[in-house]
This record gives sequence, C-alpha cells and structure tokens, in this order.
Amino acid sequence: MLEAYKKQFLSPKVQFIVISEKGDILDSDDVLFPFKKEKNIIHCHPFFESVIPLLNHTENSLSFSCVHIGEKICDINCKTFRDQDPLIIIHDLTDHYQSLQTVTQKRNETVIESEILTLHNTYLQEKEAFKRTFIANFSHEIRNPLTGVFSFTEMLEKTSLSDEQYDLVEVVKALCQDLNIMINDILDLSKIEVGKFAVKNEIFNFTELLETTDFIYGTKARQKKLQFRMHVDKKLPKYIEGDKTRIKQVLTNVIENAIKFTEEGHIDLYVKLNHKRANKVNIQFEITDTGIGIPKKHINDIFTSFTQVHKDNKYSGTGLGLTIVKNLVTLMQGEIAVESEPGKGTSIKFNLRLKFPINYKEPQKKDRDDNKVLFNPKKKHNILLVEDNKISQIIVLKILSSQGAFYLDIAENGQQAMERVEETQYDLILLDIRLPDVTGYELAPVIRSLPEKKYAKIPIVALSGSLMGDNKTKYKKSAMNDVLQKPFQEQQLLKTLHKFLK
Amino acid sequence: MTASKKIVLLGHFGVGKTSLVRRFVEDTFSDNYKVTIGVHILKKEVKLPENQINLIIWDIEGSEDITRTRSSYLLGSHGFIYVFDTTRKSTYENLAADLEHIRSNYNDVPVLVVGNKSDLVTRAHLRENKQHFSLAQYFSSAKTGENVETLFEDLTKKLIE
Repeated sequence: MLEAYKKQFLSPKVQFIVISEKGDILDSDDVLFPFKKEKNIIHCHPFFESVIPLLNHTENSLSFSCVHIGEKICDINCKTFRDQDPLIIIHDLTDHYQSLQTVTQKRNETVIESEILTLHNTYLQEKEAFKRTFIANFSHEIRNPLTGVFSFTEMLEKTSLSDEQYDLVEVVKALCQDLNIMINDILDLSKIEVGKFAVKNEIFNFTELLETTDFIYGTKARQKKLQFRMHVDKKLPKYIEGDKTRIKQVLTNVIENAIKFTEEGHIDLYVKLNHKRANKVNIQFEITDTGIGIPKKHINDIFTSFTQVHKDNKYSGTGLGLTIVKNLVTLMQGEIAVESEPGKGTSIKFNLRLKFPINYKEPQKKDRDDNKVLFNPKKKHNILLVEDNKISQIIVLKILSSQGAFYLDIAENGQQAMERVEETQYDLILLDIRLPDVTGYELAPVIRSLPEKKYAKIPIVALSGSLMGDNKTKYKKSAMNDVLQKPFQEQQLLKTLHKFLK
Repeated sequence: MTASKKIVLLGHFGVGKTSLVRRFVEDTFSDNYKVTIGVHILKKEVKLPENQINLIIWDIEGSEDITRTRSSYLLGSHGFIYVFDTTRKSTYENLAADLEHIRSNYNDVPVLVVGNKSDLVTRAHLRENKQHFSLAQYFSSAKTGENVETLFEDLTKKLIE
C-alpha cells in the first residue's frame, strides 16, 4: 500500500540524469522532462549551459534551489564522482514553491505600498513646508507696507481734516484692519497646522465679552436690518479662565458668517452652561440664523480651508474663517457641529471645556487715560532702531517724535548696528528680525556678548513681520527682551518702550 | 562557436529586474508586479560588430540584504547588473555598501549599476538624490524601454574586453 502511494506521489517528482563531463546525456529516466531526445543537456535549458562548465571545478556536488525549468520549479543537485559520470537529480517542488510565492507576493506588495506611501507622505510634507515658508515670507513682506499704511493713516487722522476727509480716512483704516485680519487668519491657520499654536489660560470677564459681542453684532445686524438676539444662561460664571482672544475669534467668525449669509430675519446666540464641576466648566454656544442655509452635500466642506460653499461674488471671504474656528474649538478641547436647511437657515453649535476661578477678586478698573502712554519730554531716551525698511523707519521716527522724549539713531544693517552700539550708550534697541546681512536672532547675542557690561542689560525689542513658527521663548533665547509684531499701533510701541524705560 | 556568458541581476525585490529582462529578451512589459522566487534563467544572443555572445541571464529573487543572496546563484558569473528603483529609497540607500560587498567577493566581475523606473521620477528627484544616484551608470525604464538594450549590450562588451 505504502509503496503504491510512494510510486504515485514521490517517484514522479524526481528525475535522474547521467551525463558526461561535457554534458552529453548518457541516461535519463525522463520522469519530469523529456531530456533523452537531446544529445547534450545544455540544449535542454540555459540553466545547464551555465552550470556544466562549473562541474569540472567541483569536488562533490552543486545544489541549486528554486530553479524555474519550464512550468516547474525545482531543486537541482549536480553530483560529481571520482570514478563515475556526473549525475543530475531534479526534484519537482512546484507546489511547495508556489505556496511560498503567494506568501512572498503579499508580503512584498505590502512593503512596496508602504514605501510608496511614505515617499508620497514625504513629498506632501515637503510641499506643505514650502507652503508654510511661502506664507511666512509673504506675510512678512505684506506686513511692512501694511504697517506703513496703517500708521500713516493714524497720523493723518490726527491732522486737521474736513468731515469728508475724516470719513475717507476711517474707511482706509477699516480696510487696513480687514486686511490685517485676513493675514492673521492665514498665519493662524499655518501655525495651527504645524502644531505651533498655543491657547492661553488667563482669567477674563466672560460677561463683559458677551456684552461686547451683543453690542457689536447688535449694531452690525441693525445695519443690515436684521435682529441679533443673545440668550445667556444666568448660571454661567462671570469670570472664566481661558483664551479670551481665541474665544472672541471663534464667536466673531461664526456670527460674522451668520450675518453675511442672512438677508432677513434674525441671528440668535445661545450661551448655555453644560455642566460645572470643581473649577471646570463646559459651556455650549449655539449660533442660529435665518439665512440662505447650506445644501446637505456641502455641510462637511464648510470647515475645509479655502472652501467657500457659496461661490457667489456677493459673499466675499477667504474661506478660512470656519476652518480656524474648527481648529480653535478642537484646541480648546471642544466639539463643533453644524445643521442647516437651504432657504431656512443654519445652526452652528460648539462647546468649550474651560476653567473658572473660585473666589476671584474683581480687579479695580483703571481710568481710561491711564492706558495712554505719555513720556516726559524732560527726560530723553537714546533709542537705536535697526531697520532697513524706509517706511518702518519713518513710522517709528514719527511716533517717537510725537513724544519729544527720544533721540533716535537708525542703522540699516547688522554692521551699522554694531558700529552705532560701540559708539553710543543706548537705553533701548528696536531690532528688525530680517536685516539684509544678518537676522535679529543672530545680532542680539552678538550685542550682548560685547565686553562692556552695559551691553548685557540693554533692552532689545524685536520687530517682527511674522510670528510664524516663533514664539516669545525663541526671542528670549536669542537674548531679546520682547517682540512687537508688525503692523503695530502707536500705543503698542509706546507701551513697550514704557515697560523698559520707566 | 558563440561564447556563453552568465550574467546575474541583483537588487531589492520590486525594483524591476524581471521587467528589464522581459523587455530585453521578449520586448514586452507588464505593469502588474509578480514576485520572483528562486531564479528564472533566460538566454539571448547579443550581436556585436565583431562578436556574437549568448547571454545567459539569471533573474534572481530580490533581496533587501545582498549578503543573504544564495551564493549558488552567483557561482560562475561573468557580470552583474545591480538594479535599484529610483522611486524607493530603501532600494538605493545602501547602494555603496552593496557594491562594496560585490566587489570584495567577485573582484574581477564587472558590475553595471542601473536606476530603474526612470519614467516615474522628476529631474528634481534625481538632483535631490545625487549622492546615491551618482553611483549609477544608467537610468532605465523597462516600461518605455529607455536604455534597456544599451545596458545589456554595454555589459556584454565589458565581458569580452
């Protein structure tokens, strides 16, 4: 029985061939391949053509695994003997190798796919990095002229103007602010995308924020003959610990959108307490409108960058607002959802997980005029401005000259700055980050490392066109005391100077 | 009598060794990847102006580690073609070390280095990977046939020098 099985399954899988040293076929059982009909084995398959010449140099045997001969996959053993003709034994292991091939195929395909994905990912990352650098550079370039327009408009506003001229100046100022908001939106989004966006945690008057929102959007809505209604839960804490600017930014973006896309009816803002435990508070915001609504198929697109669901020219915008909203809400550990019905309106609902201070003492309000910084003209301060941009130079010059309390020197590059610093004792240095020959990050430590002690303590304030990828820590690490982001307003510059010169 | 020369194609799996051989021997190409296990041996007559050579081409299974290639496959080789995939870094990042291994074990055997799938990469990619790609003598595409004939013929010329 066993012999019968062996005959059936084993024997047909092995072929024996006896050859001469030159490869002439002396005998073959032709179990697998009909080699006997050929005179020399090298004519049977190119495998033998390359192996036969090696036999003369082989002492015992040569073994080859997994050789494809015709349709079969075989192990081939070539044996040489001292006093006998060489023997070739071919084992047909096709079934075994085919199953191995299936496994290897799957394994290799997976590896190749993952490598291609990695490559694709790297390519996308490089593209993204290029985009971010481009945005950072572009925003820097655009901020300089914008700073100029903004500051000169502020100066123009203070001159004697007719009512018509004053109104026109106000329009220019408002447009500048819009442009500034757009640039900030682009920068915010870039920072969020690279994970360099941090939310602050400061105690602020939440009730006041809501009241201001009510006032601003009540007015804006009335201008469009709409109604803005606010419904605030009385159980909400007055003071909240969180990022006031970003919460305001989220509310502003969503409400502005609601007003933009509503032609008649009302916009409602509901602010509810979801729950409060210990010093933690979960607040839900819901903004509903009676506007044009969003078709169901576009609902998910509204949070995608540069996507505008309503492409009508009537509704301008960059398509970044709601993308930033979604990202900010996520950063504040919240969730956002939207429901809409075309022709009936939209409802955007989000919640924020915040903290609130327990037993918080309300700070006393300062007189408004206290906020305005004024320098005493009797005490003069030596300031060095290191800035190559002419417009920025004039702006700083104009702002400082309005106080009558400063001597201003200007250096246009790193080399000039070093010469000035060595010649004169300055009370403060305003240092542009991008100079033609050196960066502010490089120059500040060089000034600090000058041998005289006075340089170690001199306040250095960076002037930056973009805070892209940077934060105050980076400036501090570069031995700078503070940073002013362009475009800055007159009071921002004066307040910063006052901080270090009082 | 026409002389026979054994050449072996080396390189990682999926770099297109089989496709290069198919293009050279049969002038065919398929986009479907089918893994090679063991070795396929094909033969092609190469006619040079003064000689005629039978190239016996050993198209062996790819390996990420050249030191683990079955030595029996390389026995008696007259020439090597080392193939890498220009789109997959893992197939060329150890190129220098792999070549060093071949040269130290098969001192007199000529080696041609080929970057395959050149139809899929940009000039910028070639520039960015100059450090690795400078070791390649040819950039080929089994798909378009670019440089395939040339590289086999040039190796054949080297074999009879």
